[in-house]
Amino acid sequence: MADTPPKNHLAARDVVIAAYGETRIERRSGKTPYEFAALAFEEIMSKTGLAPADIDGFATNVPHSESINQYYTSYLCDYLGVTPRWMQISDHGGGSALAGVSRAAMAIQAGMCEVAMVLCADTPSSSWRAANGGFRVAFWDPTGIQGPPGGFGLLMNRYMAQYDFKPEALGKLAVAQRDGAVLNDNAYEKLRVPITIEDYMNSRVISSPVRLLDCVMYADGAAGVLLTSTERARKMSAENLVFPSAYSEIVNFNGREAQPDITETGFSVVGPEVLAKAGMTPSDIRMFQPYDDFLIAEMLQLEQIGWCGRGEGSDFLLETDVSYRGILPINTGGGQISAGQIGLASGMTNLVEAVRQMTGQAGARQVSDPRNALVTGIGIIPYGRNWLVSNALTLEQ
Amino acid sequence: MTEQTKSKPVPDISETTRPFWDGIKSNEFRVQFDPSTGAPQFYPRSTSLATGRTDLEWRAVSGKGTVYTYSSTLVPIPGFEDDVPYILAMIDLEEGVRILANMVNVTEDEIEIGMPVRVAFEQRAEDVTYFCFEPDS
Repeated sequence: MADTPPKNHLAARDVVIAAYGETRIERRSGKTPYEFAALAFEEIMSKTGLAPADIDGFATNVPHSESINQYYTSYLCDYLGVTPRWMQISDHGGGSALAGVSRAAMAIQAGMCEVAMVLCADTPSSSWRAANGGFRVAFWDPTGIQGPPGGFGLLMNRYMAQYDFKPEALGKLAVAQRDGAVLNDNAYEKLRVPITIEDYMNSRVISSPVRLLDCVMYADGAAGVLLTSTERARKMSAENLVFPSAYSEIVNFNGREAQPDITETGFSVVGPEVLAKAGMTPSDIRMFQPYDDFLIAEMLQLEQIGWCGRGEGSDFLLETDVSYRGILPINTGGGQISAGQIGLASGMTNLVEAVRQMTGQAGARQVSDPRNALVTGIGIIPYGRNWLVSNALTLEQ
Repeated sequence: MTEQTKSKPVPDISETTRPFWDGIKSNEFRVQFDPSTGAPQFYPRSTSLATGRTDLEWRAVSGKGTVYTYSSTLVPIPGFEDDVPYILAMIDLEEGVRILANMVNVTEDEIEIGMPVRVAFEQRAEDVTYFCFEPDS
């Protein structure tokens, strides 16, 4: 790779997020991704006054519940009555939502389409139809590893050995997110109950040291955003425009190293890079909506994007008000951990909350002065390392 | 304890990984090395991560290393119910690669990061040997 950082394709503010839609998050709904997608789609159509015929770009994620269907994206367009001239499916795991937004912006800039829907849906708690091959069939599954909690147990234990880790710091983050979920009508109903730091500390161990309240819970739902050219948005008289202002991604970070530091993530690259592209520093960020499959992943992001030094995440969290009232609000709608993880559509949960906040529609949990946000995505646990996809998007008013 | 309803998974073996599993069957741990740089890599695959060529060489290694990190599993996946709690570890081998494996003959109270370990072998099914690690004392 060249020494100069990648170009910021979003610098011109020529593409805008004009609307968002999100369903309630449910568990074991018995519904399909198509059915949830239709609800989020309807909300966006209703807010913008558009009809399915107006959508000429379409991007989505690979859902766990449809991942053995090789024609999913086309079927979804068919289901919704959309006739795209540009179509994309992203298999960036939890980074798929932001990857879709970045690519939809590029497609609009390139003239491939003008009105692009990035619509993510999944129903893993009702239908799990995934089969992962690769190294897993010989070197992963036969070990009995407990999926993501096992992978993050290994990561978190190493973090605790290398650094001064204070579990109450993650407890504080869990409580702040849960308080957001209580105020979020779309969060999974059973999670809309306040918790305490003691509840976090006392929750049962799944794969040591990972506890139940460190983890997300699989759920069903959909969420999406509509992107269009700034010019077209102004003609649509959309009122609250949110500009995606910088994006960076990295896949297979440190993938050629045989014994890398498992606590070092792709955010050590894309975090500082996306902020440099946007001309911002961490202290300029008004809210952080990080991908949160596990609480420890958020601590690693805080350190490696640059709010604090490596190993200083515990003290940073204990010293900082990360509630929606605070100086650095984090996952104000509960994040995935307290709203429910809608499978591989889940990165859209963090993004939609940022757009909702930035357009002043967050109700009782509204952040004051929501002029910008940093949203991230994380995808896929590799063999013996950290995670495979790290991506980050800044949004500005 | 949950009733064990399923047997433990056995590895799918491909053309590229067959020499590794042949080694495991004869209680020998083999690792791929790039012939030009001498760099080792694991898990087994066709491509040299250094050069992109498919000319990797297999060598038997010591099977000795240290615990890089570990996690004790209290909620098992199907087939492992009778083993709870079972310990997963990442082992950094002396020869410079990292392995994911079960730890045997050690409890969570005894295991620690940096502990010296050596490879061991378990009969997973008739004619199927798998690898694990144990303390090297």
